[in-house]
Amino acid sequence: MLKRRRWIFSLVAILPVLAIFAYVRVYPIGEILRLSLHKWDILSREKPFIGLANFQELFGDSLFRTALFNTSIIAFGVLIITLPLALVLAALIHHRTRSRFASFYETTIFIPHVVSLVPAAMAWKWIFDARLGPLNAVLSVFGIPPQAWLFDPVLSIVSIIVLCSWQALGFAVLIYLVGFKNLPKSLFEASKLDGASGIQQFWFVAVPLLKPITLYVSVATLVSAFNVYAQVYVLASDAQGAPGRQVRVLVLDMLENTFRNYRVGYAASEAVVLLVIVLILTAIQFSLLREKGTR
Amino acid sequence: MASLDIANVKKAYGDVEVIRDVSIGVPDGAFVVLVGPSGCGKSTLLRMIAGLEDISGGTISIGGKVINEVEPKNRDIAMVFQNYALYPHMTIAENMGFSLRLAGRPKPEIAQRVEDAARILGLSDYLGRYPKQLSGGQRQRVAMGRAIVRNPQVFLFDEPLSNLDAKLRVQMRAELKELHARLKTTMIYVTHDQIEAMTMADFIVVMRDGVVEQMGAPLALYDTPSNLFVAGFIGSPAMNQLPGRLVADENGSRFVGAGDIAWPLETSIRTDRPVTLGIRPEHLVPAPDGQGVPARIKLIEQTGSETYVIAHFGETPIVALFRQRLPLAIGDTISLTLAPGAAHLFDTETGQRLTA
Repeated sequence: MLKRRRWIFSLVAILPVLAIFAYVRVYPIGEILRLSLHKWDILSREKPFIGLANFQELFGDSLFRTALFNTSIIAFGVLIITLPLALVLAALIHHRTRSRFASFYETTIFIPHVVSLVPAAMAWKWIFDARLGPLNAVLSVFGIPPQAWLFDPVLSIVSIIVLCSWQALGFAVLIYLVGFKNLPKSLFEASKLDGASGIQQFWFVAVPLLKPITLYVSVATLVSAFNVYAQVYVLASDAQGAPGRQVRVLVLDMLENTFRNYRVGYAASEAVVLLVIVLILTAIQFSLLREKGTR
Repeated sequence: MASLDIANVKKAYGDVEVIRDVSIGVPDGAFVVLVGPSGCGKSTLLRMIAGLEDISGGTISIGGKVINEVEPKNRDIAMVFQNYALYPHMTIAENMGFSLRLAGRPKPEIAQRVEDAARILGLSDYLGRYPKQLSGGQRQRVAMGRAIVRNPQVFLFDEPLSNLDAKLRVQMRAELKELHARLKTTMIYVTHDQIEAMTMADFIVVMRDGVVEQMGAPLALYDTPSNLFVAGFIGSPAMNQLPGRLVADENGSRFVGAGDIAWPLETSIRTDRPVTLGIRPEHLVPAPDGQGVPARIKLIEQTGSETYVIAHFGETPIVALFRQRLPLAIGDTISLTLAPGAAHLFDTETGQRLTA
């Protein structure tokens, strides 16, 4: 009797949260899945079911393919830069934990993560500016000719990767720092006695033990990088100044399909493809980084 | 194998001195136990030998060579940690061979030395497993294996058995002792458990508040503790300590204490100062009525082989240990006297042992 009452109480207690979660998280996903199988122009009452026609069209759509390609390059680029850099930076900061500048280092690295996207991107737009930007000025000191960072098709993607990594780094370092602080000290002492140098301790002890953290950081970084939008929109305008066109990304493509072309169902199918890609990548990361010894 | 010499070693964190002028000479191949209550500095001293803590003053030498400024890895020591400190992501073989791998030894040699150590410790069947797949005792053995593989001059143990259950602890104690007999390497072992110290050591160093209180062979410490702290620390149950005075007249010496205690003592010590009589529980023996000092029994604990009796002389509590089974009950009065030659006398104020 008591058990049953407790069960009912628990259920009632979590029901509001569950309801909100279902409404803002689960329902939209379900709705996207449903919409992706329909044709809808936002205004009409008709939403005819068209099966997988949206998906069939997607794979012939060169704009979508470009967007998917660009987004993937950006996402993996960000991951490849952020992950090792964050790990090394966190190790250095952790190594200097007793320094009185420790909190300064942590704050400095974390600030980019808190700064609003658009102003940060504006600042970087200035840095990358071909004529006035400090980046080209610095390069010219070394005799490298000025580059059109934001207009060259390859360099503009590189610039976006740099900007996104700069933003993602603070969060990744913070999470890694927590990881470092939780590693048992005795393991480092034991490895010191075993003859490991600082770098060997990092490589043979810290890196493997931080695998769960690496898993979390890589999933979080990749997922957020796949949703790249504002950075591209601000940073990369095309030759006529149309924002976001220089480097087309998936979120921009979805937005355009929804609100410019009024093809909501089609955009939903893009979202579904993005969801599937992220799910598959997450699954791969989980299997790659699963802890040894637990199998 | 090498001797270890600790000379006037100090350790301070800012103004706080945790090790004060400690000097210990450890002969080659000895099994030395550092024992003392928490915070006495024994682990700090061990970590200073290992090189995990800086030495604030004095010198530590291994095999005659001062190692104060030598990197931990070049000190030729191996340490077993309280929580084992095994690398969770490495197999047992990898854990044990890690130091050799770092030293760049060839793979066949690493495998051979790991196998040899595993055979000594009965770990041969577990080499491919991970630490979390082993029991506490097995992990403990792996930690020792990791030390053995390095073939160091000195082994350091930091409370290695304190995470094990009582039965396993007794078993590992014997195994460690056996290991020492086989390897004949100098071992320094830190524990707060005086039973471990008594059973394993060739030589015990009792520490308190960063100072060595006494060092010597286990039985020497038990039989002639040099002060009240050592007297109370070594031995379980602890030595009874009864405050009182020493009275000498034509009938000889007597100890007179609270609770109508008056025992004749065979001693040539004469002092007017307050003294503390130390008497081990097993040295209190039942006496025929009228001859000993009557005590009221408050509690009886039977272990099977022994009987502990907690009794009061007036207000003064004492513990007595009897190996024979006596028909006693709580509330009874038992008459107790001292076994001949078993009394220890200490100066109550200084706590130092009184000698004739």
